[in-house]
Amino acid sequence: MAEARLPSQNPRAGVPFVLPALAMLAAMILVPGVYVLWLSFHASSFGQSPTYVGFANYAKILADPYFWRALKNTVIVVLTVVHVELLLGLGVALLFANGLPFRKLLIACVLAPYAVSEVGAVVMWRTMFDPDAGLVTRLMLGFGLTPLEWSVVPMHGLILVSLLSIWLHLPFTFIILYAARLSIPKDLYEAAELDGATAWQSFRRITLPLLMPAILIAMLFRYIFAYRLFSEVWLLTGGGPARQTEVVAIYLYLEAFRYNNFGTATATGWLMVLTSLVLALVYLRKLYREMLARDA
Amino acid sequence: MTPDTVLVLKRRLAQLGRGLALALVLIWSVGPITMIVVAAFTPEKEIFSVTKSAGWQPTLENFVMLWAKWGDFFTGLLNSLIVTLGATLLAVVVSTLAGFGYSRWQSRLLASSAFSMIALRLLPPIVTTLPLFPIVNAFGLNDTYLVLILLYAAFFVSMGTMVMRTFIDQIPRELDEAAMVDGATSLQILRRVILPLCGQGMIAVAIFVIVYAWNEFLFAFIFTTKFAKTAPLVMSEMVGSLDGVEWGVVFAATTVQLLPVLIFVVLCQRHLIEGLTAGATKG
Repeated sequence: MAEARLPSQNPRAGVPFVLPALAMLAAMILVPGVYVLWLSFHASSFGQSPTYVGFANYAKILADPYFWRALKNTVIVVLTVVHVELLLGLGVALLFANGLPFRKLLIACVLAPYAVSEVGAVVMWRTMFDPDAGLVTRLMLGFGLTPLEWSVVPMHGLILVSLLSIWLHLPFTFIILYAARLSIPKDLYEAAELDGATAWQSFRRITLPLLMPAILIAMLFRYIFAYRLFSEVWLLTGGGPARQTEVVAIYLYLEAFRYNNFGTATATGWLMVLTSLVLALVYLRKLYREMLARDA
Repeated sequence: MTPDTVLVLKRRLAQLGRGLALALVLIWSVGPITMIVVAAFTPEKEIFSVTKSAGWQPTLENFVMLWAKWGDFFTGLLNSLIVTLGATLLAVVVSTLAGFGYSRWQSRLLASSAFSMIALRLLPPIVTTLPLFPIVNAFGLNDTYLVLILLYAAFFVSMGTMVMRTFIDQIPRELDEAAMVDGATSLQILRRVILPLCGQGMIAVAIFVIVYAWNEFLFAFIFTTKFAKTAPLVMSEMVGSLDGVEWGVVFAATTVQLLPVLIFVVLCQRHLIEGLTAGATKG
């Protein structure tokens, strides 16, 4: 049956199938992305024709204290959110991996925040931390703690943003780590137990090293996605008081849509793209090798 | 104490610790949701009163108020539904086609295009809103379903494609070859061989797009103003309302918007986990 050509013998036949996906990404993400790059070297606002200004927009942002504050806030929140989330996710994954009654129901509970919108989450968390009647505020007062004054004290605002971000995204981190933990063969632990290893030793020598790739992947993805943080801050503090809780995405939005500085907004946008790519570099390099090795 | 009692004590303690940890995990995950749902069924006056009245009398008054005062919210729900269905359909179809393409044909060109799909997905969405805003206006697409459908689908096509490729890779090629011997074209192979066997993958992709499109805020905030406003956007307007926020109504709206997708996620938990492990983290 030599006439029956395998589809893989003519790779060009596969192109029509992938074309719609590529066209969509090009139209909605690639072309706008490149256009942003071009715009970032021009001075423009809506309705005006752009004029070339070189790196002036970049110079302007880098000299703007509000940009630096936004960047600092973003770094603080991203570092806190991602690392706390990984620790919690790992903890819950290990707790669940040891076998539990009603496992399916319990997993459903842990996944529940995944279904909640950012707006919904903001409603929940600001209600719990309501300065007068919030459940958590009253609990904290009851324990003699000072409650969060998140609408007044900028750092408290950022803490609340971090808390609700962790809450929203823990399901993602949990699933990745839990699936990775379940794929570790049981006999490794049995062998360790026969050799008299303590729980801590088998965690250090088996669980942690074998989970490392999944931990790194989860961390990377969460860095990249946490960095985009917009809605939570916008809906909770709006970047205030006095622009003190702005993050980079809020800064970009305000520059573009409130202050009408399209040039600086696009420059901020490209700085975001560049930093995202730097964050993803290790992952992309590894992926590039794997994917291009696949067809060799 | 004998060594035996020490051992029993230790085991009890470990059990207690695990029970406590589990309780904390549950309170953390479900507590905020439960609180809002309960508050939605509580009379507005009592929600924030520090001294709780003795018995909790569930009431529908917040939902009635929501219906009477915020017709916008229900239009928003309908808009969300239309946009979600549109984006899901588009993303699943396009991802399945591309997943089939990448699974069954290999070349340097294809591999590098798959790679650039993944790299593109890493761009922050807010960056693309800047140039899209004037373009969308120029095409008169502002405040339409179409712009949201295209954006939501575009941001999930890369992940969807990788999930579909992983699932289609598992379908034996011998089946393709057998169909080919019978003279089937690639499109016929896709329809008769692949489609009936890759439903799991399509469900997984659909779940991600549905949850995302139903809840999305940023794009809806920037690209819709009146007619195509989605439910989360209307909710944000309720919370940001200048003349006093009626929290009871906000809680009712939050509950109505949340419950369908929450039930959906709980029912589809197996597919969600499979999907995430199949493609989300590979690319």
